[in-house]
Amino acid sequence: MTVHTQRLSWKIFWREWIRPAYVILIPLSLLALVPFVWMILGAFKTGAEIRQIPPTFFPKQFTLENFRTVLTDPDLPLLLFYRNSAIIALANVVQVLFTSSLFGYIFAKFEFRWKGVLFWFIMALMMIPSQLTMIPGYLMLARLGLINNLLGLILPAAIDPFGIFLFRQFAHSIPNDLMDAARVDGANEFQIYWRIVLPQMKPALATFGLLTFMFNWNAYLWPLIVLTEQRVRTLPIILTWYSTRMGNKLHLTMAAAVLVVLPVLLVLMFVQRWIVKGITMSGLRS
Amino acid sequence: MPLRRYTGIRKRRLDASQRAFLRYTLLPMVLYMGFWTLFPLLWGFALAFFEYSPRRAGGTFLGLGGENPFVGLAHFRAMLDFSPDAPLHVRTFHLSFKVTLLFVALVVPMNLLITLPLAVLIESVHRRMRPLFRTIFFLPVLAPSVGVAIMWGYLYHPQRGLLNAILGKILGRTVVINWLGDPKLTFWGIPVALLAVIFAYLWQDLGYNLVIFIAALQNIPDAIKDAARIDGANPFQMFFRVTLPMLMPTIQLTAILTMISAFQVFDLVQVMTDGGPKYQTQVLLLHIYNYAFRFQRMGWAAAVSLVMFLVILSLSLLQARFLRTRWEY
Repeated sequence: MTVHTQRLSWKIFWREWIRPAYVILIPLSLLALVPFVWMILGAFKTGAEIRQIPPTFFPKQFTLENFRTVLTDPDLPLLLFYRNSAIIALANVVQVLFTSSLFGYIFAKFEFRWKGVLFWFIMALMMIPSQLTMIPGYLMLARLGLINNLLGLILPAAIDPFGIFLFRQFAHSIPNDLMDAARVDGANEFQIYWRIVLPQMKPALATFGLLTFMFNWNAYLWPLIVLTEQRVRTLPIILTWYSTRMGNKLHLTMAAAVLVVLPVLLVLMFVQRWIVKGITMSGLRS
Repeated sequence: MPLRRYTGIRKRRLDASQRAFLRYTLLPMVLYMGFWTLFPLLWGFALAFFEYSPRRAGGTFLGLGGENPFVGLAHFRAMLDFSPDAPLHVRTFHLSFKVTLLFVALVVPMNLLITLPLAVLIESVHRRMRPLFRTIFFLPVLAPSVGVAIMWGYLYHPQRGLLNAILGKILGRTVVINWLGDPKLTFWGIPVALLAVIFAYLWQDLGYNLVIFIAALQNIPDAIKDAARIDGANPFQMFFRVTLPMLMPTIQLTAILTMISAFQVFDLVQVMTDGGPKYQTQVLLLHIYNYAFRFQRMGWAAAVSLVMFLVILSLSLLQARFLRTRWEY
């Protein structure tokens, strides 16, 4: 019996773990990592080595000097840019989650006049690409004095039609008994949303919150238009600015790119399960 | 039989507190959307019919009129001027429209041809190994596109890039190809700079379709796969006769989503080439950005945005049609 199991498990091992697919998958995934690896290796090379022709793959001597130069550059206060990016991304996550869950719940559970028209209107807005409102949006912010103000990226972003749509789908599955019980207990409508409905929506909140965070954190075009002064810029914009200024000093550009890209990328990697779920549920792209 | 919980919409009349709740939530929303979405939308439409620049004072209402005159359909008529002595903005618009169409036409099939087999391969290995591979190919989706552009710019660098170094190793001499900046380099009539940007774009964009296909593969009922296996289908027959037909609705949908987002490519191109060399990578959105914010010709830029919107809208409507015809099995 035991001998038999032994042989069987080897067979299973062979069948389950050694697949011809690996012959393609392993080289391909190594290839897919090359751009990251090349950036990271470049960040550890000295200025002299990175200029070498032909270039080396592994740095001959690992140096941390590039990171020190980048971090002590008085023109590049990275912490300030991290702060700017974080303020915009977190504020937008909070407000978008609030409005999406509230209006998603309302559209799923209430019947009122104009509901059909209103919902159709919101869904129509979903189809409008952002570049159509980009120019007038800029002119509006200019008139309101919100150019070069972080609020310029927060105030117009409070409602996401896609979020309303997603939360409406989700709210459909919440049993009405829950809300009715709370109404009998004397809760007002906002308390019902806040205390009863919102906790039921935790999976949707995590998924859509992380997607919103990711899109805001990585956003480029709109911040590029609205934030033209150095002190209010976000990380992606500062990275291109630094790379243009450094020109051929690629070791410094790569060190800056590592400092800008990797920390948040690693965090997002650990929560990617939720992001993947959000993308597969909605097909949403940046 | 278990009692089914009622989750539908209540049809009974709302009481006073519910009506107040709806009033104090929906009213601000409608006002907000009117101000931040509808108003700029109408403004954008209007701009397309004016020769507007924010540098000029113009009329009293939104700066329209006066020094920023109404020109009617002039922008759109100019777009149809295909003569060689058309003004520069018209010629560059034609170029960028062509570049964008080429970009989309190359990106969409290449993307699907990579992601679909890749998803099948990843699904075919042991359950414990799948997340590892999925993570590797999904990682670029999580990264900011500016970071991606800078990484790939370094890979393509004529003197310091890895690509030329590898080519040099293979050929045994120093290779100095300017992948992103040499307008004379073409491959089957396609500018090499555009292809270089496309590879970077594909690398970043693959993850989206990959995870969508993986999820779709997992949704194929086991009974169908088992039935085919019992009937003696080999792996190729399994793929072409079972998997592919079952995935068809997903493939149509992802193709359109990929198309829509490829039409709006901006970040990678702006950072990697800024439209160069010689407009070979100047995509539509970059043209719009340049005319609106670098040259301050917002009327023209708004008109081009409108054209681009119509293209994307027709694609979205196509998507909505596919969404409605969900297959049943």
